[in-house]
Amino acid sequence: MSVLEVEGLAVPFGHEPGLREISFTVGRGERFVLVGASGAGKTSLLNAIVGSLEPSAGRVRIGGDDVTRWTVNRRPCVLLSQTPLLFPHLTVFENVAFPLRVRRVPSGELKERVEEALAAVRMSGYDERRPATLSGGQARRVALARAVVSRPPVLLLDEPLSALDATLKDEVRRTILDLHADYRPALVMVTHDLAEAGRIGDRIGVLVGGTLAQVGMPEEIFRGPATLEVARFLGLPNELDGVVEKDGALRVGGVCVPRPNTGWSGNLGTGPDCGRRQVRVVFGPDGAELAAVGFTSNDGGACTGRVEEVVHRPDGVNVRVRTELGVVELGVSPDRIPAVGRDVALRLRAGSVHLYGNDAGSSGGRSVPS
Amino acid sequence: MTRATRFSALPSLRAWLVVLLAAWSLLPLVLLVVISVSGGWRFPSLLGADPGLDAWRSLRQSTGRLLPALYTSLGLGVGTGGLAAVLGLPIGRALSDLRGVWRFVGAGCAFLPVAAPPLALGVGLQYSFLRAGLGGSAVGVTLAHLIPALGYTSLFFLGVFAVFDRGVEAEARRLGAGGWQTLTRVTLPLLRRPLAEAFVLGFLVSWAQVPLTLLVGQGRVRTLTVEVLSWVQAGQDPLAAAGATLLVIPPLLLMGAAALGFQRAQVVAP
Repeated sequence: MSVLEVEGLAVPFGHEPGLREISFTVGRGERFVLVGASGAGKTSLLNAIVGSLEPSAGRVRIGGDDVTRWTVNRRPCVLLSQTPLLFPHLTVFENVAFPLRVRRVPSGELKERVEEALAAVRMSGYDERRPATLSGGQARRVALARAVVSRPPVLLLDEPLSALDATLKDEVRRTILDLHADYRPALVMVTHDLAEAGRIGDRIGVLVGGTLAQVGMPEEIFRGPATLEVARFLGLPNELDGVVEKDGALRVGGVCVPRPNTGWSGNLGTGPDCGRRQVRVVFGPDGAELAAVGFTSNDGGACTGRVEEVVHRPDGVNVRVRTELGVVELGVSPDRIPAVGRDVALRLRAGSVHLYGNDAGSSGGRSVPS
Repeated sequence: MTRATRFSALPSLRAWLVVLLAAWSLLPLVLLVVISVSGGWRFPSLLGADPGLDAWRSLRQSTGRLLPALYTSLGLGVGTGGLAAVLGLPIGRALSDLRGVWRFVGAGCAFLPVAAPPLALGVGLQYSFLRAGLGGSAVGVTLAHLIPALGYTSLFFLGVFAVFDRGVEAEARRLGAGGWQTLTRVTLPLLRRPLAEAFVLGFLVSWAQVPLTLLVGQGRVRTLTVEVLSWVQAGQDPLAAAGATLLVIPPLLLMGAAALGFQRAQVVAP
């Protein structure tokens, strides 16, 4: 059963339309990650859920109660802000105890729960410290302890891992996952970091252009972006013009790629099925591969080009190849890196390219059925 | 002089400026003490003649007048300081919330009683206060003192709220605190120091106030400052100087206590 239900929520940004028709649900113990570019409205959405921002339309339900008109302090959810805002005049213990004190929890139980929360974030022994004496990572963990000490059924985290170095990021991520496993709230986390979203989220929602363009499991999102905007947000480096022929084959410039058995990924729009269709062809570094020596542009899905740049990345090596289609970036094996300036043949992988029809719309798209 | 030596000379210049300020502030007080222990002061003598403690003895003999005046001054100061701090906080906050021309107008309203001479305020107030039955009463004088004091504290809190992070209040609300809990558990503890400073400010405005006390108090509310002024008018210079020396002591004690309190309190300027 869903603990958090967001239904048709609209949040204007000043005079701009802002967020529109946002709907999703999060169940108990589920981790839902909202991704979107900076300024997409991720934080505004969290603020509307927690009650700091008033939506112009739509409803928020928590545990079955319609809390849309409830004041911030009455809502059974807690938002952990991007920058942890600890009360500077209170000790670490009193900061964590704050949500319990305002709920008038008896002192014995309060002490026990605060100590438990501090232990969960590995901050036992820091009770009497002031926030000013804590490091950034420690302050985040204390803020996290304070957010969960009252065991809210909905926990909202706004970019909890941003601006942390790799070690601290690991530490805070582990703490979040441990805490979540401990009492299993409905967790909504906002981030612009796709890798974090994939690591933490059971499901991911992509906010693009003010709407929730796609919701799905991480592999669904990463493997089959539903709209061109989602594909662009995912940072797929290659975007070309192409045509889908009557027989379903894709033609990009002089290259023809046969329709895969599973059908094209993407959204070809709602036009008539017969006839040629102009499409945008989007793919990641895995959407093309270096073809074996001897391949020519006459072979299926292949073309030739010259290596312009070798890009070393933490997760592999990409090469940028100038072809007749334009510049294509593709992944290569680290032990087979072609030299810059070398002529190579490359082939598009039909199963890894995504096609978007010109009339497919900017949101609400669905994957093309196979 | 090279650029480097010019910069190294700066600290000593700053030190001299501080010394100059200290001398400028202390000079009248030192002269006050000197005059209070001299028998008389005749031109061209700089320090007076016939040193002695006659003035202080006379002051001791006039405790019948002095003590009630001291208590009146303290009462007015505490009342004015307290009210000015308590009212100045929400007014300053409201002013800081204003935008554009309204903020300018609001700050101008707060600045007006500060800029206007107290004599003008007193003349303006005395008839209406008389009609309202407040003339010649401590309540009336407190309200009169509150006019400039509230101007000062409102402007003071306008500055405080310009840098106060409202995010902490929003955070408290998100963690379940109601409006009153947010005020008492977060806002007021964070503003403890500015509140104390505003109280001292209001106290000092009231303590030094003469025209408003005379005009609204109509001679029936006699503060220490008014008593000292009467000795000055009567030409009793050593007595006036001894009384004026007393005038300086309570504010100094208050400021010292406040400074000590600030050092001990773990208050974080927001």
